[in-house]
Amino acid sequence: MSRSYDRALTVFSPDGHLFQVEYALEAVRRGTCAVGVRGKDVVVLGVEKKSVLQLQDPRTVRKVVMLDDHVCLAFAGLTADGRVLIDKARIECQSHRLTVEDPVSVEYITRHIAGIQQRYTQSGGVRPFGISTLIVGFDPQDPRPRLYQTEPGGIYSAWKANAIGRSSKTVREFLEKNHKDDMGRDETIKLTIKSLLEVVQTGAKNIEIAVMESYGKVTNLDLAQIEAIVAEIEREKERRSGSVRDWRQLRLHRQPCTWVRLPQTHRRRSVSLVLQSP
Amino acid sequence: MARRYDSRTTIFSPEGRLYQIEYAMEAISHAGTVLGVLAKDGVVLAAEKKVTGKLLDLSSVKEGGYGGSGEKIFLLNRNVIAGVAGFSADANSLINYSRQSAQRHLFSYNEDIPVEQLVQRLCDLKQGYTQYGGAFIPLCVTSSLHMATGLRPFGVSLLYAGYDPHYQFQLYHSDPSGNYSGWKATCIGANNGTAQSLLKQEYKEDISVEDAIDLVIRVMSKTMDSTTLSSEKLEFATLKLDETTRQPVAKIYRPADVDALLAKQGIGKKDGDVEMK
Amino acid sequence: MECSFALTGKGYVLIAADMTSARSIVKMKHDEDKVKPLGPHLLMTYSGEPGDTVQFAEYVERNLRLYQIRNHSVLRPHSAASWIRRTLADSLRSRSPYSVNLLVGGYDVSEHEPHLYWIDYLGTMATVPFAAHGYGSYFALSLLDRYHNPSASLEEGIETLKRCIDEVQKRLIIGLGKFKVRVVDKDGVREIEI
Repeated sequence: MSRSYDRALTVFSPDGHLFQVEYALEAVRRGTCAVGVRGKDVVVLGVEKKSVLQLQDPRTVRKVVMLDDHVCLAFAGLTADGRVLIDKARIECQSHRLTVEDPVSVEYITRHIAGIQQRYTQSGGVRPFGISTLIVGFDPQDPRPRLYQTEPGGIYSAWKANAIGRSSKTVREFLEKNHKDDMGRDETIKLTIKSLLEVVQTGAKNIEIAVMESYGKVTNLDLAQIEAIVAEIEREKERRSGSVRDWRQLRLHRQPCTWVRLPQTHRRRSVSLVLQSP
Repeated sequence: MARRYDSRTTIFSPEGRLYQIEYAMEAISHAGTVLGVLAKDGVVLAAEKKVTGKLLDLSSVKEGGYGGSGEKIFLLNRNVIAGVAGFSADANSLINYSRQSAQRHLFSYNEDIPVEQLVQRLCDLKQGYTQYGGAFIPLCVTSSLHMATGLRPFGVSLLYAGYDPHYQFQLYHSDPSGNYSGWKATCIGANNGTAQSLLKQEYKEDISVEDAIDLVIRVMSKTMDSTTLSSEKLEFATLKLDETTRQPVAKIYRPADVDALLAKQGIGKKDGDVEMK
Repeated sequence: MECSFALTGKGYVLIAADMTSARSIVKMKHDEDKVKPLGPHLLMTYSGEPGDTVQFAEYVERNLRLYQIRNHSVLRPHSAASWIRRTLADSLRSRSPYSVNLLVGGYDVSEHEPHLYWIDYLGTMATVPFAAHGYGSYFALSLLDRYHNPSASLEEGIETLKRCIDEVQKRLIIGLGKFKVRVVDKDGVREIEI
């Protein structure tokens, strides 16, 4: 029988699908959500992080990682796959510096990562990487922030703002509505957190934010800073929505395009009601 | 329908799941319990042995087991011990691999391998077996792992107890998918849910090794199938710092030591009918 | 004619190297930096076959950086020096060996001690309180024997280093021009003008 192990696992189906790649995308959708937003001269990565269990050591939970001094990456999907892919990317970053003396450009390392992901869709006996990545950074001697995305199939693309992982569609739609070009630092951070709050019900403690302001300048916001911004967002929301009815209309308006599970929308609505009652 | 995706090798199911890994984890959830507790001055590991028959000759184990290790708890390097839950045969090759990795680090850097790095090495291997069969892992120097492309993940979870100058004492857990995480106290194998919740209730920050030993035995006695604990069923190990050299010392208890310890704790074989509060 | 010195003191390592780049009898360059920071608390000077030196130093730099990014921790000076020695020893037994002599100095932040290692192109490594490579060592080592004090302050250390450099400038048949001096201590790596 030809179905032996060394056969490519990812083959075209009669109607032209690469099922393994599509299923890998499902694995990505089961992963925690990650958001990237580009401002005027800043780029922000936000990730939903699972609550650390009581007896767990938070140090070992890493969702946003450095590839080099000037490039950061967040991923959604299978954690172990992510670790291995990140390791390969880090080697390439240093190897690039050694061979051509310059640091990698953000696009270069994105293309490299996408290239690795593509190879795993076409070689014998392997399954694709079950992760999508968001890559942010600055090119050397260039003030423009960059944001790229890669997918299990090996596709990569540049974005002004994008989301991957659980409920990424909802978040992307939110970003499409609210993203503006030329946002400042604080505005960009706020939009990132706001968009994450669309899917993260538990608020600040399950959000991690990394801000890159220029070549090699990365800061991680601490919990207090994120909490402050979340509180500000909630205050604004309260002020703007005024009555409960307006808020509901807002939700209804979005409903046709959110195919994402209804119960979630219900839950979120009830949360907002609680917020407005006092 | 699921048949198509769970019978051959590790590939994605339509929902994006890897059934082979989930099945491997299922197998481990029936394996002998392994429990670890991180204390401020050391780490404690305990493992349940599933004795398979009355005629099983345990005399070799009485001698201290293979390479200074037991049947379930192994010395990986001077500064790391590990307890395994799952298929012993898979575990043996993982133990072998991790010992090699530790020695390779010593060879290159003339220092004991940092604990997290050793865990990561092993997890990279495990991840490889869920994606491409691990055959082209470049780190592998001489190992039978090279011989064929693996068709299934490793059916083993491990708890690692270690020490390094960067983060002092550490406790890690790794599973068949190649994920790992650090813990203050955790448990794998049969009844791990019960053990976890017991640990959650009873664990205190800044616990000492002596209290951790106490805690481990108490939890083990509640989660293990048999009513009496003895060296036939239980393996036990600690990792501490030597008081004079300040170097990590692993102590994998010999059967006699285990029995002595249990007697001291009052749950030895002889007064096995006495349950701890 | 290359020349490098290093010495330890109370909580620091001083490393100096000449700045000339010469070929045959011609001085090609007088502002070559041969003291490379390899990490937040690690320095290395290199001398030997031109070309090999820079190539090897960059190789080491990138690999140590890779280690740091991969493992979220920096190699301690002893481990880094051991790795460098091992790499050099492996290279010696390959088809195209690197011919470089090194001084590696670092500050161990976990045990709060400065460390200095002398490594030659044959892969010999020695842990030393002070060290030198090149013709300068014939003059400097005796001076350091006399004046080195492991618990000297930074100012005293710089004075001792100056003695070495002055002696070389005075006695060696060729003037070496300026020296690049760097120090590594608990605050990291920085340059010192002398």
